[in-house]
Amino acid sequence: MTETLADLSSDVSIAWSSFAPEIAMTTAVVILLLLTIAGRRRMWVATPLGLGIAAVGVWLVAAGSSVGGLVALVGGLGLIAATFGLAGAPRALHAWIAGGGVAAALVLTVWIAFDVLAVGDGQMAATSTMAGSLAVDGVAVFTRVTVYLTTLMVIPLGHAYLGDHGIHRPEFEPLLLLSATGMALFGAANDLITIFVALEILSIALYVLAGIARRDRRSQEAATKYFVMGAVASALLLYGFALTYVVTGTLDLADIATQLSQLDIPLRLAAVSMVLVLVGIGFKVALVPLQLWTPDVYQGAPSNVTAFMGAATKAAAFAAMLRLLLVAYAPLSDMWVPVLAVMAALSMVYGAYTALRQTDVKRILAYSAIAHAGYATIGVVSLSNEGLTATLWYLLTYAITTIAGFGVIIAVERTHERLVTVHDLRGLGTTSPALAGMFAVALLSLAGIPPTIGFVGKLTVFTAGVEAGLTWLVVIGVVSSVVAAAYYLRLMVVMFVEKPGDDAVEPAYSPGWNIASVAAVVLVVYLGLQPQYLLDFAERAAGLVR
Amino acid sequence: MEFFTDNLVTVTLVLPILGALGIGLFTESEDGARWTALGASVLTLVASLWLVVDFDPDAGVQAVDSLSWIPSIGASLTVGVDGISLILIVMTAFLTPLIVLSSWEHPDRLRSYLMAFLALEAASIGVFAAQDLLLFYVFFEFSLVPMFLVIGMWGGANRRYAAVKFFLYTLVGGLTMLVGIIYIYNFIGGTSLAFADIGLLLTETPLSLLEQRWLFLAFFLAFAIKAPLFPVHTWLPDAHTEAPTAGSVFLAAVLLKMGGYGFIRFCLTWFPDASTELATGSGSGFFSVPWLMVLSVIGILYGAVVALVQPDIKKLVAYSSVSHMGFVVLGIFALNATATSAGVVQMVNHGLSTGALFLLVGFLYDRRHTRMIAEFGGLAKSTPVYAGMFLLVVMSSIALPGLNGFVGEFPILVGTFSVMPWAASLAAFGALLAAIYLLWAYQRMFTGPLDGAANEATTDMTQREIWVMVPLVVVIVAIGLYPQPLYDLVEPSVQQVLANVAQ
Repeated sequence: MTETLADLSSDVSIAWSSFAPEIAMTTAVVILLLLTIAGRRRMWVATPLGLGIAAVGVWLVAAGSSVGGLVALVGGLGLIAATFGLAGAPRALHAWIAGGGVAAALVLTVWIAFDVLAVGDGQMAATSTMAGSLAVDGVAVFTRVTVYLTTLMVIPLGHAYLGDHGIHRPEFEPLLLLSATGMALFGAANDLITIFVALEILSIALYVLAGIARRDRRSQEAATKYFVMGAVASALLLYGFALTYVVTGTLDLADIATQLSQLDIPLRLAAVSMVLVLVGIGFKVALVPLQLWTPDVYQGAPSNVTAFMGAATKAAAFAAMLRLLLVAYAPLSDMWVPVLAVMAALSMVYGAYTALRQTDVKRILAYSAIAHAGYATIGVVSLSNEGLTATLWYLLTYAITTIAGFGVIIAVERTHERLVTVHDLRGLGTTSPALAGMFAVALLSLAGIPPTIGFVGKLTVFTAGVEAGLTWLVVIGVVSSVVAAAYYLRLMVVMFVEKPGDDAVEPAYSPGWNIASVAAVVLVVYLGLQPQYLLDFAERAAGLVR
Repeated sequence: MEFFTDNLVTVTLVLPILGALGIGLFTESEDGARWTALGASVLTLVASLWLVVDFDPDAGVQAVDSLSWIPSIGASLTVGVDGISLILIVMTAFLTPLIVLSSWEHPDRLRSYLMAFLALEAASIGVFAAQDLLLFYVFFEFSLVPMFLVIGMWGGANRRYAAVKFFLYTLVGGLTMLVGIIYIYNFIGGTSLAFADIGLLLTETPLSLLEQRWLFLAFFLAFAIKAPLFPVHTWLPDAHTEAPTAGSVFLAAVLLKMGGYGFIRFCLTWFPDASTELATGSGSGFFSVPWLMVLSVIGILYGAVVALVQPDIKKLVAYSSVSHMGFVVLGIFALNATATSAGVVQMVNHGLSTGALFLLVGFLYDRRHTRMIAEFGGLAKSTPVYAGMFLLVVMSSIALPGLNGFVGEFPILVGTFSVMPWAASLAAFGALLAAIYLLWAYQRMFTGPLDGAANEATTDMTQREIWVMVPLVVVIVAIGLYPQPLYDLVEPSVQQVLANVAQ
């Protein structure tokens, strides 16, 4: 309990604690795959696995690492209990194991934040491990919180939905967890190779997830489009990394910064490499002009995958962007700040205006995602700790809001074979007032109306922007907020003002959906009213290994 | 008990919220909802009157309650009242029970309807009581949501357009104000958002004139849209026409007042130089025109002229609101104690008179399902009580001496005349027009022969409707006869604000 990171590293030479959450995640992935292979004989696999994990837990506790040990002990015994308890319901069993894995990861993340990295008066240390390839700092921790929280909510949210649509294949949960692990690593990766590997882990799993509805042509289209464009973006990113290596001769982010601040570097080549990297990352966060894939993929992918994609991928990609730009390419900030600021402005305006004319609800949210990437970028170009906090916090607010919003779409889509259009929501306020109310809360949060979490998010990025002298960008953000409010309002109007049609949708609910969705909506309002604790956490997390 | 009396402002603010939650969570029947709403709003009124009893006009902001909220950005849950806040809070608390009573038999989704109004009451009291900029902003923006729903869910045929227009217009203003808030927050060092601290820090390190102009504009836009001031008033007639009766009453009586309140609380207090420049035209070039006066006067005359030709009585009242709020803004920016205090008092008067007018129009609409003046005629014979009430409220609205409108409008004109005679003269012409359009409408609707079966069959006010109107009429007359207590409450606070401007 009391060991610090330094003690751990001197003992075992690898600071296992620094990526303990990912160990829990990958363990869960392996267990899920083994259970799938085992089929009906899953007890015979689960029992030894569970006992083994519990034994590791006991050993860890004995070795002094009580939090990690207890997590492993509970996890191992829980695995056995779940396998026996849910013997007749393999689908539910998979969801529970996946959820357990993510919950364990979340607990371990909190442990890292408050115990391992604590250096007094609430600050977090910023170190790195594995010869500098993994950062152990606030940004890494906060990204994990966002990603794992999102994953934890997505699993119950979409469980019944997957079943209804006949796409609950056994590989769904392992892929989801793998992707989340990739995202967590993406946020923590501290050298170019690790960044790239993490990106591929998260992307490849996501490509498959987007196309998991095999008989749905839109899903196939989404997966193909995402894959082709994503592959190009990855290639450009890799090319950028290669050129950066040519210029600086190192893969370590901090060393790159040192090299780039030398006077005798080939500046043009460095600039080209940086632009390529910007393109690769900009694609993942969907900034204009790299946003073209977003609407089609968001629309075509199964809604729970879209929710995960929108909420978690964005957080992870922004974390990598923060790390790359604020650490490695910091010496070139004169070059990338204007470019990125313009991209942010374009994203906000484009996302707001284009969504006005859409009729498909998921497409509307996709364009809104583009606009929101723009808002989050304001924090990045602010080049300050306030900006860093603002971006991290904004991504968390956006993730929770996205889950709340997509939760409603999932409920509507369950009995609805077609895509959900604005038309389908007519009169939802009369037929299902609670559901319409939840969607309204999510929409108000997206629009940034108090007292929701979205307002606090906008407030922090705008404040950081003004502080950094980017008032023009903030003004553009404000103008586009108004335009964006128009289409969020349009959805509210459709729900509350118009009368229900004859073909009114009949939303379906499930216990898992209830818990996850209500939790998301409650968080949207509660954190909107009382953001202090998490905002404070984001503030303390605003540290990067440099 | 001590807890309640020590935190009166918080209690006033929380009671309507509890009422709304109570209706949502615990009432099954519509009757339960009615009595809960009435109980909560009456208790709120009691709490607000208690505040008046304990109030010391010369003590500035008082009854301050403060709770920690977001310390990392310096925001706190601080509420308190000065004279200006107080009378607006009391007005809000006074009108809400009447609104609840007037909606007693509202046919459509009554529980949600009442919850929306209690939420609106809480948001409005929050706006007037907030002593922290972020808290103010939260309430200011939040008030949009229930009003949007009231117009959108219970409005007339064109409600969709009206609701969205209302929301977007006000949001534009709100967001420009947010930029202004963030700028000020950074300017003073990002430590605190409490009004008191900001005021103090701004006197220590004053804003440059250029900054004041921009910030004034950012805040002004929000409140000009809300007030509404010409030329950003266009949402108001639509919203009023489409909103259900109670919605119109609340909109006209309370929500518009946030505009006037904001002018005093922020524009005058924090950007005195820019205010003076724009109100007196003391600058050069663009700033040599007293824009605020010009816009107010245009608003007064424009609203009156448009009201004159309205065939729809509710639209007529809506445009008369534009005209009357022009008087309020004129008074506020005349920047002398007489006119500015009268501007504040006139806000209350307008709330009472126009609120009453909208209620009466609503009662008639419930019976006839039309608002076209031409379809009425000779109603004084079939509905004498109603006609009498209507006449009294009309008289109050056209500022007949002895009624409340006069004691606000007259000092505004006097105070404005002393600094800008032309503005006062033109505004007086607007007052004359008000008499014409309201009395003409009264004449067409109520006097003359009782023509048509519909007019003959129109029934007079019910017991409940009379009891909704009686308190309003009593207060209208009482303020008209003895306005001094109101001025006593308001004037010290206004003088405090103006002392800042005069420096």
